[in-house]
Amino acid sequence: MTSLLKIEGLKFSWGANQILDNINLEISGNEFVAVLGVNGAGKSTFLKCINRILTPSNGTIAISGNNISDMSLMNLSKATAYVPQSIKTNFSMHVFDIVMLGRRPHISWRISEDDRERVSETLRFLELEDFAFRNFDMLSGGERQRVIIAKAVAQDPQLFLLDEPTSDLDLRNQISIMKKIRQVVSDVKSEKSAIVAIHDINMAARFADRIVLLDRGVIKADGTPSEVLTEANIEDVFGVSCEIIPEKYERVSPRIIIKDEIEI
Amino acid sequence: MDPISEKHLQDSRSQGVMIAIICAGTLFSAIIAMGLGSSSTLDSISTIKIMLGLEDGSDLQNAIIWELRFPRVLMAVIGGAALGTAGVLMQGSLGSPLVSPLTLGVASGAALGAAFAIVLGFSMDPEVMIVAIAFLFSLAVVAIIVKLGNMRSVSAESYILVGIAITFISGAIVSTFTYFATDAQLSQLANWSYGSLSRPSLSDVIWASAAIICLIPSAMRWAWDLNTLSLGGDDFAISSGVDPSTTRRDILILSALMTSIVISFTGLIGFVGLAAPHMGRLVIGNDYRKLIPCSAVFGSFLMLFADTVGRTIFAPVIIPAGIILAIIGGPFFMYLLLQDRGVKI
Repeated sequence: MTSLLKIEGLKFSWGANQILDNINLEISGNEFVAVLGVNGAGKSTFLKCINRILTPSNGTIAISGNNISDMSLMNLSKATAYVPQSIKTNFSMHVFDIVMLGRRPHISWRISEDDRERVSETLRFLELEDFAFRNFDMLSGGERQRVIIAKAVAQDPQLFLLDEPTSDLDLRNQISIMKKIRQVVSDVKSEKSAIVAIHDINMAARFADRIVLLDRGVIKADGTPSEVLTEANIEDVFGVSCEIIPEKYERVSPRIIIKDEIEI
Repeated sequence: MDPISEKHLQDSRSQGVMIAIICAGTLFSAIIAMGLGSSSTLDSISTIKIMLGLEDGSDLQNAIIWELRFPRVLMAVIGGAALGTAGVLMQGSLGSPLVSPLTLGVASGAALGAAFAIVLGFSMDPEVMIVAIAFLFSLAVVAIIVKLGNMRSVSAESYILVGIAITFISGAIVSTFTYFATDAQLSQLANWSYGSLSRPSLSDVIWASAAIICLIPSAMRWAWDLNTLSLGGDDFAISSGVDPSTTRRDILILSALMTSIVISFTGLIGFVGLAAPHMGRLVIGNDYRKLIPCSAVFGSFLMLFADTVGRTIFAPVIIPAGIILAIIGGPFFMYLLLQDRGVKI
């Protein structure tokens, strides 16, 4: 069976600075993959290579068996949707119109009734119906983030690429957004997957099926939260000591208590 | 249908009606402008009657209407629409509300090209040669902007500063030309340095109109791409299936072509390309599918207004539209600049 995403020997560098080195990864449908690592580990670069925002110096990336460098950007955007950390714009629009931009890869010019209905459904799904006709720049950080995620959901891709979607949000909004992403990925009929670059280890442990731990551009560990989030891995990669409270039957994910920074 | 979808559909229809009303208002202004002028033998009603063939005008009246006022009003409508469209395309593709053919230096580049063509003095098809050379020079400016636009994290100020530099260089070269120009060329250059709608003849205007009418609809094919590019920048555009580099390049070339055509016939006219898109944004919002036509119509209206004020306020002395627009546009640009910096006015 063809995997949803297959990455082989991916390398990326800015001049002499090697950001990603020999990344190999395979992802199938209905997977929530969290990418963890320190600042500068290459998390955002990794996501941007999958979406052709950045061009790798080496390696191949295939989505549903198709090499992304052979795909038109329009076809690639039907398969993947990238959600940036935030958007600053000089030209604000109504929330409905921004979410409608997600339909861009599917329409040539005229908006069909089906496109409008999909946007309305997406707005309701992300609890944005009350904001549909408000200007984007009048919303709070959490509401804006939900709008950008709604745009990605309306795009109806197979693979979501989310770059620190909870970085500027309060606790309630962080959980709310992660739950929504989880809900989209858990829908077995659609077989969608998500790769989420994130800093919060506990959030990743709680929501992700799989964690990829990036360390200076290479994959240090790849597996379930219990396999990857070990005291040794966290000390090595993040330079902090911690205590892991393992998963139990009433709690489905391990909990990590960060103690202090350690000498590296 | 979902109530949210229904409201969106209703809003879209209302915006369509609003554009139709603005079009009708501009058309009405054009008719009024045809009837205004320093001639005591022609009032608005007689002008309309003569134009519709309901009244036989004298030779003088016919000459005033068809050889003086009609080319002028048509040039205002077409030229304003072209500059309004060029301005909105530039603002969307570069994501900055401060850019326009004038502030980016594209208009100055075209002006330099036209001055160059005037001094060279082509004997064959001088109008075509002026447009062609103006376009080539404006393309050189576009090449610099495209290069700048493809760099990461370029601020709106960088574009404006490059525009100022280009404007200074172009101005200096045009001034140098004056030392080598003949008396006739000197007069043409001086006349040309301020934009005026009295310059183009009827055949010039028809030529320019045909070109602009073909070009403006082609701008509409980028409306969706401009929505993604202007809202979220390059990364957001790529994620929506839009290649920002080629889109920006193609859009800026089209804008430069439209600007060159107008500037070649009228001389240097600015601020329509800056102000018209902002008037459009106030009325219709930032959806380029509606904003492009709306900016074009507001461009026409602004140009008509400036020209009509210029030829009636101190009649029979005519103040060129370029000067009127500069007087209105200067403070408007300062207002935008301060607003961009978060200063409340």
